[in-house]
Amino acid sequence: MQILLAEDDAETAEFVARGLSELGHNVLRAADGTDALHFATSEKCDVLILDRMLPRLDGVAVLRRIRAARIDTPVLLLTALGRIEDRVEGLDAGADDYLVKPFAFSELAARVNALARRKPLNEIPTAIEAGPLRMDLLARLVWRDGIPVPLQPREFRLLEELMRNGDRIVTRTMLIERVWGFHFEPLTNIVETHMSRLRAKLNRGGAPDLIETVRGIGYRIRADA
Amino acid sequence: MPRVPGFLRSAAYRISIISSAAFAVAILLLGAVLFWTMHLDFTRQLDFTLQDAAATLVAEARSGGENALAEAIAQREAAGSSDQLLYALFAKNGRRIAGHLRTDFPRPGLRDLIFIDPREGPDAARGLAVDLPDGNRLLVAADREQIEQIDRTIVSVILIGFLLVLVLGVVGALLLGGYLRRRLGAISGAAEAIIEGNLARRMPIGPNGDEFDRLARSLNAMLERIESLVENLRQISGDVAHDLRTPLARLRNRLEKGLWEPDAARETLIHDAIQRVDDVLRLFASILRIGEVESGEIRRTFETVDLSGLLLELADSYAPAIADEGRRFSAAIEPGLALPGDRELLAQAVVNLIENAQSHTPTGTRVALSARSAAGAVIVEVADSGPGVAKEDRDRIVQRFIRLEASRSTPGHGLGLNLVAAIARLHGGKLRFADNQPGLKAILEFPGIDA
Repeated sequence: MQILLAEDDAETAEFVARGLSELGHNVLRAADGTDALHFATSEKCDVLILDRMLPRLDGVAVLRRIRAARIDTPVLLLTALGRIEDRVEGLDAGADDYLVKPFAFSELAARVNALARRKPLNEIPTAIEAGPLRMDLLARLVWRDGIPVPLQPREFRLLEELMRNGDRIVTRTMLIERVWGFHFEPLTNIVETHMSRLRAKLNRGGAPDLIETVRGIGYRIRADA
Repeated sequence: MPRVPGFLRSAAYRISIISSAAFAVAILLLGAVLFWTMHLDFTRQLDFTLQDAAATLVAEARSGGENALAEAIAQREAAGSSDQLLYALFAKNGRRIAGHLRTDFPRPGLRDLIFIDPREGPDAARGLAVDLPDGNRLLVAADREQIEQIDRTIVSVILIGFLLVLVLGVVGALLLGGYLRRRLGAISGAAEAIIEGNLARRMPIGPNGDEFDRLARSLNAMLERIESLVENLRQISGDVAHDLRTPLARLRNRLEKGLWEPDAARETLIHDAIQRVDDVLRLFASILRIGEVESGEIRRTFETVDLSGLLLELADSYAPAIADEGRRFSAAIEPGLALPGDRELLAQAVVNLIENAQSHTPTGTRVALSARSAAGAVIVEVADSGPGVAKEDRDRIVQRFIRLEASRSTPGHGLGLNLVAAIARLHGGKLRFADNQPGLKAILEFPGIDA
């Protein structure tokens, strides 16, 4: 995957670029807003990572111009500002995801992966399959090996997030943001509680566990289990 | 810049001196105008008198000829009439043939002239010369002495007035300037003491309640506010520093220990260190979030929040988690509650209260979330049946970094309830605590939405 990384802080840029390269991605680096805009408009990228505060042209301005040029490459906005208003502004400008610094590299990697496989609106499926699991997104029903699994709405949303991301890791923070709509970290591990209930329902009768816990990071579906 | 005398550098002196000087100049201008109008007016009156007298004498000459006129002149001079006019009759050749006014042969018309006063010598006069039918020329004149007398009186009155205003003005200016300097000096003296670091110093307030006292009162109110903010800030930075020292010191020890550990143990150690750094970062995030909420800027993005729906969702999310922790959770949410606000912040406030109830109570405790509308207000309560909080501590637990001795061992940094209180204030509401008999009841009270 080709990823544009626009980050002016050399140390952060080095840390992120190295991590992404080790995951096998090709990283283009830009240290200011005008370079970022140039690469974003001239190179074919799968994901753009833009720092919100870039020299010469700030990240949000770059993002607005990219979107104005009808380039719909997924954008992950990085920011040192954790303010609610900044997040709203970033998403309004056309960001697909928003990550507050400092972040764990695993969090960034999971989000970049999730963005890269995001399907255009007209290709959104009405059903997803993963191994023995089948999910009907319209009827909001789940089957394992053809047997219906009754789920609470929140358990369904958790499983949906995991299945939409295929075999990629979904972090705990991503689940809190997407399933609960919270942008803060509750002390109570509500994700874990609901995940264990979901697991119990999916694995009824001692069937192999389909949800893998990636320690300290998040969860992913194991279709091959 | 040219050097200016010391007292002129004082705005108080400058303003009062300039204003009294302006007043004096105004008096001078007014006097000049008055002088000229009166001077012209008196001259015109004199001219009328001259014309009057000349007309009478010309009539005399017409009816009685030269002799009658000379006689009339002699008569008038002898009578010494009150108008003190002077007369002369000149023949065509310019020789004076009657009257005692000694002057050169005048041209006809009104004009100023010089005559020889028998007592004072040459003197100024106003004269009117008219030609008579017989070719003689009659001159009627009046000594200017009268007008000059009036002029002198007016000028001296004006000058005395001017000097008086100037003297009084300068004295007043010095007094007023001194007063202003003293009052302002007291204020700037207090300000300097505050700059020196005496934050408790206040502006002096006089007994009169004048504008200086009002200014001093406003300044004092401002200083009061600043002092409490500074005090608050000082306390917070002290608390932050203290709260950071402990985890950072532990982190440092861990990392140092990592130098001696075998490679296998290092990875666990690094994970542990990252965890500890994350805790510190979370503390910072909380401080920043509280600051953001307290600034009130988020109010611009307020929308009507379906509070009942939000609380039901939270109850739904937390019931299993609380059950897993060995406590019983129940919720009683009145439907249809709504209020203008920020959905996520309201969620965070209630989550913090629920987590607080959960982490400070023993297993087996009941935690109840309830919401209802009462007398136009929306009330959200999180009650537990735990050990509760002593009455005297209930107000303190909202303060930043306050952690009661009993909860020292539980995780958290003492900012949770402070954030809840800030969120309540942001929404025009308040957070208070009551005795749940047994246990603690946290009450969030918001103003209701107008139906």
